[in-house]
Amino acid sequence: MADVNITVDGKKVTAPAGTLLIEACKSVGIEVPSFCYYPNLSLQGACRMCLVKIEKMPKLQTACTTVITEGMSVTTDSPEIHQARKGMVELLLGNHPLDCPVCDAGGECELQDMTFAYGAAESKYMEAKEHRDEQQWSPVVYFDRPRCILCYRCVRVCGEGMDVWALGVQNRGVSSIIAPNKEDHLECEECGMCIDICPVGALTSGAYRYKTRPWEMKHVGTTCTHCADGCKTTLGVRRSDTGMEIVRGDNRDKSGINGDFLCIKGRYAFDFANHEDRLTQPLIRKDGRLTAASWEEAFQLIGTEFGRICEREGGRAIGVVGSTRTTNEENYLLQKFARVVLGTNNIDHHRTADFPAFAAALSGKPEMTASMRDVYNAPAILLIGNDPTEQHPLLAWQIRNNVRLHRARLYVVNSQSIKLRRQAATFLQIPTGTEAAFAAFLAGDDSALNVTSRDQWLALRERLRSEQNLVVIFGSELRGENIGSLLKFASSIPGAKVVCLADYANSRGAADMGLYPDLLPGYYRIADKSKFHDEWHGIPQTPGLTIPEMIESGASGRLKALYVVGANPIGRLGIDPFAFSQAFVVLQDMFLTETAVMADVVLPAANAYEKSGTFTNTCGDLQILKKAGEVATTKSDFEMIVRIADAMGFDVRKLVPFGRGTPADMGQSRGAQSGEADRHGVWLEAHGLEPKMNPFDPMAILDETQRLVPGYDVSRMNLLAGNDQHTTLSKSGPGALHNPELIVPANNNLFSSGTLGRYSRTLNSVIENSNQQPAEVAAD
Amino acid sequence: MPVLKNIAAIAKGMSITFREMLAPTVVENYPDGPGPLKGAKVQERYRGVHVLQRDENGLEKCVACFLCAAACPSNCIYIEAAENTAEHRVSGAERYAKVYNIDYNRCIFCGYCVEACPTDAITHGHGFEVAAFSASNLVYRKEQMLAPMPAHMGANAVFNQEEVEAGAPAMVAPGE
Repeated sequence: MADVNITVDGKKVTAPAGTLLIEACKSVGIEVPSFCYYPNLSLQGACRMCLVKIEKMPKLQTACTTVITEGMSVTTDSPEIHQARKGMVELLLGNHPLDCPVCDAGGECELQDMTFAYGAAESKYMEAKEHRDEQQWSPVVYFDRPRCILCYRCVRVCGEGMDVWALGVQNRGVSSIIAPNKEDHLECEECGMCIDICPVGALTSGAYRYKTRPWEMKHVGTTCTHCADGCKTTLGVRRSDTGMEIVRGDNRDKSGINGDFLCIKGRYAFDFANHEDRLTQPLIRKDGRLTAASWEEAFQLIGTEFGRICEREGGRAIGVVGSTRTTNEENYLLQKFARVVLGTNNIDHHRTADFPAFAAALSGKPEMTASMRDVYNAPAILLIGNDPTEQHPLLAWQIRNNVRLHRARLYVVNSQSIKLRRQAATFLQIPTGTEAAFAAFLAGDDSALNVTSRDQWLALRERLRSEQNLVVIFGSELRGENIGSLLKFASSIPGAKVVCLADYANSRGAADMGLYPDLLPGYYRIADKSKFHDEWHGIPQTPGLTIPEMIESGASGRLKALYVVGANPIGRLGIDPFAFSQAFVVLQDMFLTETAVMADVVLPAANAYEKSGTFTNTCGDLQILKKAGEVATTKSDFEMIVRIADAMGFDVRKLVPFGRGTPADMGQSRGAQSGEADRHGVWLEAHGLEPKMNPFDPMAILDETQRLVPGYDVSRMNLLAGNDQHTTLSKSGPGALHNPELIVPANNNLFSSGTLGRYSRTLNSVIENSNQQPAEVAAD
Repeated sequence: MPVLKNIAAIAKGMSITFREMLAPTVVENYPDGPGPLKGAKVQERYRGVHVLQRDENGLEKCVACFLCAAACPSNCIYIEAAENTAEHRVSGAERYAKVYNIDYNRCIFCGYCVEACPTDAITHGHGFEVAAFSASNLVYRKEQMLAPMPAHMGANAVFNQEEVEAGAPAMVAPGE
């Protein structure tokens, strides 16, 4: 669009035509105050705070609804404007209770800021303020009516942003009030966006209210540990008796990939960390009962047992199950531990998407993976399978708002009539289980076409073929070679990009880091000669056991030990708990899960909010985790893996490249043979990085993954600064086609999140509440 | 006559001595004096150990707004807030201080907390005997600082009447 030149307070501003005056002012650092205006929501013009003087216009104008025109000359602050704004604040405060000391918003309230700036704290009104009792609209949303200043932000974000429309305005004029559209309660996704966006304390969060004050907390921006979208959530922590307690989760600085968005899980479901059932001591099975023991005793026992089994039966007799919620560094370390220390390829994890097939389909093609930001900016989106509204709330938000704000064309192909069909340009409902046939049909295989909706299929394919820069998103309905056929179609479209949807926070990371019995990090096959063979001085050459094979092997008594890190295979995968009754089972977890109940040693683990590291979201965006909470008696999985290796008598320096000495020793101290290049040392040197001095520092492994895993060599500075960094799969190994049966979707919805969800009081209260609501009766 | 001059000088001097002998004493008899203050006299505006005030209904005035903790230059106030419920009402507003500690190891009695308090809940009392044998005893809890219940509320009211009937020791209003 053509640029328009205006003058604001004597400054020359150039902005594209169609820009709102308030945004043009913001672009040159002039802040025009506003309550009702919110970027990317429809215009309201309700609060009259953004009044500015525009030359040749008789009265003050609202900057939030005025579009800039050529030659406009604007004054944003003058005694007249100041007086007008002061008058507005005074009117807003007319019935606003001055209960700032108890109000949750106190300290981060926009009305407080405005009152400070324009000073209308003394009211001229003599009338008593009208008090109304606080209402509870849902387990997490409370409404204090007198505090409301009727900016309508909550109504708009709920409707336009979330497409939920749970809030509305009752009455008109001076008697307007914000109210739920469903009698006295909200029927919604409980995302809490209305609370976040409320400029005052009218809407407050049930999980946080009256607990503390904003300035009392330390705010740590980290990555959410629930679904695979990788939203940034800012956790407010304060000290407690046992370390640091997480008090609040919110979207404080809106700097993450999620922008304004955060769902119920990111906002409230951190409370599993403070759950009373949290394990705080290592447990060792003695006389058939799990009894508390010291860390030293536990590590010693595990080290001795693992060492004995390795010696007697070899590493093949030990199975390792990794996690989809531990960091990339821990996953990488775990598979390195299995392959290098135990000498086995028996390593697997709970697979929720077929990333090896995705990598296989992408190999040899140019960069084709879409980041979460691409989903928001793509001109067209094809969604096959999955229900992002329930399982990928951020992805759904990106799609919805892309359609709303950028007029993107959304094509939805699903066996269910999912909610995103409301944004779809074309919604095609296909019979259950025919997603694969549809992928083949897209790739040009017309044999799948014997369906009733033949014409619709053909029309959709024609429309898709005419698209450019299409983003194709598919769920776990597509596996194995079907992903190949979908990619064949996608690569025929210029600029097309693809997203493969997995279910857990670091499902993609677990796959990228090689938690597979036949694949190394970066999807290199075990059988092929790769750099890892040289780096690690030998890896067992035969592919190991998958989880089902481990069960079989355990039941027949061949598997002597099982090492489970942050997973609950018995509970989540429905495995017979007696399969491992002969084996020595070690588990690292937070709670006494179904797997823990049958384990021989249970080690209390820290969760993702209590450690640093990185997560890769389902799109492949790499993000940093920062330590927020702390429970003093737990340890991170990283530390436990290293300690177990140490207890087995293994030289930990070969596992974690730490404390290599000074660069002057020419890399001789890290076990490199005389004359052999110390690749790690060379790489660190080249990237200006210091060798790590701490064996429990995940950054030492981050160095190694950045060096060895293709696609992970992203900007370290941006990563540490908290920016998302897209990792590519285009240079990764050849991948593999696995048995599609190995993929077990988690099927979490908005209010469930595996084991973590079961121990989240907020999520459970929302589920209970929705169960109590009387069932909807059809009006007839 | 130098002798007379000397006598006059001594008499003048001794007259002051005898006058002061008969005048009321200026030195305070602390700690051997009478009364709860043991002879100490304290100015009304003296900034001593804090008192957390109650309102006319006997409810705590403190609403746990944390402004005192924010204002405190020596960072000695620790608060945990909680929500009042219909069954368990402690303060007059929605929120009350579940935990309110002042660490007198650190407190410098500057009075900023009293200045900051929007509900006049925290005030300076006249207590000055804060010395203790253990530093941990210098962390005062809310119960140690709370004002007694107003007289018309009955300072000896037993709060756990039901338990007392079942044989538990009586809990009376703290603070006296």
